[in-house]
Amino acid sequence: MATTVADQAARAQPAAAPQQIPTGRALRTIAGRRVALTAHNPRQIAVPLVGPALLALVVAPALKAATGGLNSHIDYTSFVGVGAVGLVVPLTCIFAGLSVLVDRHSGAQRELLAAPVPRAFLVLGNLIVAIALSALQVAVLIGLSAVRGGHFHITGAGVAWFVGAALLFTIFMYGLAETIASRVAKQEDYIGATPAVAVLPFFLAGALFPIAAMPGALTAIAKALPLTHALALMRYGFVDPHGTGLHDIWGAHNPATEAWLSLAVVAAYALAFTAIAVRTFTRASVK
Amino acid sequence: MPAVEALGLTKTYSGGVEAVKGLDFAVAPGEVFGLLGPNGAGKSTTIGMLTTTIAPTAGSAALAGFDVAVQPLKARAVSSVVFQEPVVDRGLSGRANVELHAKLWGTEPRAASERIAELALALGIADILDREVGSYSGGQRRRLEIARALVSRPRVLFLDEPTVGLDPRIRFELLDAIASLRERDGMTIVLTTHYLEEAQRLCDRVAIIHAGAIVALDTPAALLAGLGGELLEVRVDGDTAVALDALGALGISAHDAYVVGQTLTIPLHDTSAGDAITAISQAGLSTSAISSRQPTLDDVYLRLTGTELAVAA
Repeated sequence: MATTVADQAARAQPAAAPQQIPTGRALRTIAGRRVALTAHNPRQIAVPLVGPALLALVVAPALKAATGGLNSHIDYTSFVGVGAVGLVVPLTCIFAGLSVLVDRHSGAQRELLAAPVPRAFLVLGNLIVAIALSALQVAVLIGLSAVRGGHFHITGAGVAWFVGAALLFTIFMYGLAETIASRVAKQEDYIGATPAVAVLPFFLAGALFPIAAMPGALTAIAKALPLTHALALMRYGFVDPHGTGLHDIWGAHNPATEAWLSLAVVAAYALAFTAIAVRTFTRASVK
Repeated sequence: MPAVEALGLTKTYSGGVEAVKGLDFAVAPGEVFGLLGPNGAGKSTTIGMLTTTIAPTAGSAALAGFDVAVQPLKARAVSSVVFQEPVVDRGLSGRANVELHAKLWGTEPRAASERIAELALALGIADILDREVGSYSGGQRRRLEIARALVSRPRVLFLDEPTVGLDPRIRFELLDAIASLRERDGMTIVLTTHYLEEAQRLCDRVAIIHAGAIVALDTPAALLAGLGGELLEVRVDGDTAVALDALGALGISAHDAYVVGQTLTIPLHDTSAGDAITAISQAGLSTSAISSRQPTLDDVYLRLTGTELAVAA
């Protein structure tokens, strides 16, 4: 049984290159795993939707009835219906980031790290599922808001602005959640960061009222938040073709130009945080 | 070309902790190679570097000729690892866990399906394969992890403490399964363990690691031969150093005798146990017990490190 070895030191050329899985198939496989795990835990889909759905179904119509709404051409129910997207997407992404921590502590993350696929794919595969989940929840949310009396102006260009903004904002939020998940050691620390990254921006970014209604300093802070730009874009697409929210940010007179500028801001955040997430995950996964 | 080759492989963690200090070894294709040592010796860090989850501080390593730092994807493609801790998706079925590995390692679906059926049968998990892994016992989960690692037919299989925490019967069954699979598939296996009988039973060669360095590397038989054919254990009442000197003066003990607590362990090279015991009695040495036995790898380790493996582990 014994084999002589040590002296086989003669360095030969490496063996034939092993078969490696194509990029598309690798991403599908990693995303498929996340879908299977999420399906096993449907709370991950339902829980982030509860609060925003209440906002759209109950809070917005009630505030509209009590205060008369925004006193403008914009319907308040649909205004808040879109604003609630600013809560559902962050919560969905925070849940998705939490699953990365679970993977690390009691799941198969080390097996995935030993797989012959670039480690960036582990981030991107999960991102694909976070996008799909967010899309589902946003569709349900807007549908509920419409059922409750929200008025949405659906046009091809409007859908493109809405989808573009929601997609890029989801990518940014997932990048942020994944970055935090890679940096913290314990689930408690991660949960502790949730209010700051998921809830606080919701109150500052004009989800429930125009940012111009806040004091100047807070308005200035709001203009730096990607959520502010994403909400203004989504409303420009579905609720407010005049781009009032975009005007509050940029103060210009051409809504299309303002929309492109805001899209560029959200895209820059999305790109930057995806890169940071990949780098942080890769560095954290190799000791 | 070696299946696994490490040259000056070193890992120093931040804070200056030297976990692995310049390991040099080569493992031939088809060989079962054991890394033996207590917890903290550097075995798992070595496996981590070979499987690209720990970055070496210095030195290099290659799997089937693929440098783990320069060509990590290729190195990972030719290897699989069974980790010391459970690394599974508990919410998925056993089959889903194994299929995930097969897909990521590029195994064709049909071949994977046949291989899964074959491995499930060989490892005794066919009946539970479609159950959620969260419901598995420790032994079942460990067998599943071995099946998962083997489904891609790796050229190099890393088993990091594969039987730790399992009860003796399951350990025995698992070792038997690993030995059978090894004989059938002829793959290279790198096994870390602090169970000496595992190393003796499975390994062609063993590297004994102590404090991050290899202190001995040879076949189990050669390592044991270094201790002679028989060991004498003498429990003394007084100063062990004085007793050891006295035994040396009698020509019974040599440089390879060692002390653990009040017990002197003396490899017998040119003396029989009977003659040694007679000499000790005539010398009037104060002893409370004398016995002789065959040497084990435990003794090799004790002689080399002065630490008892089981205690350290």
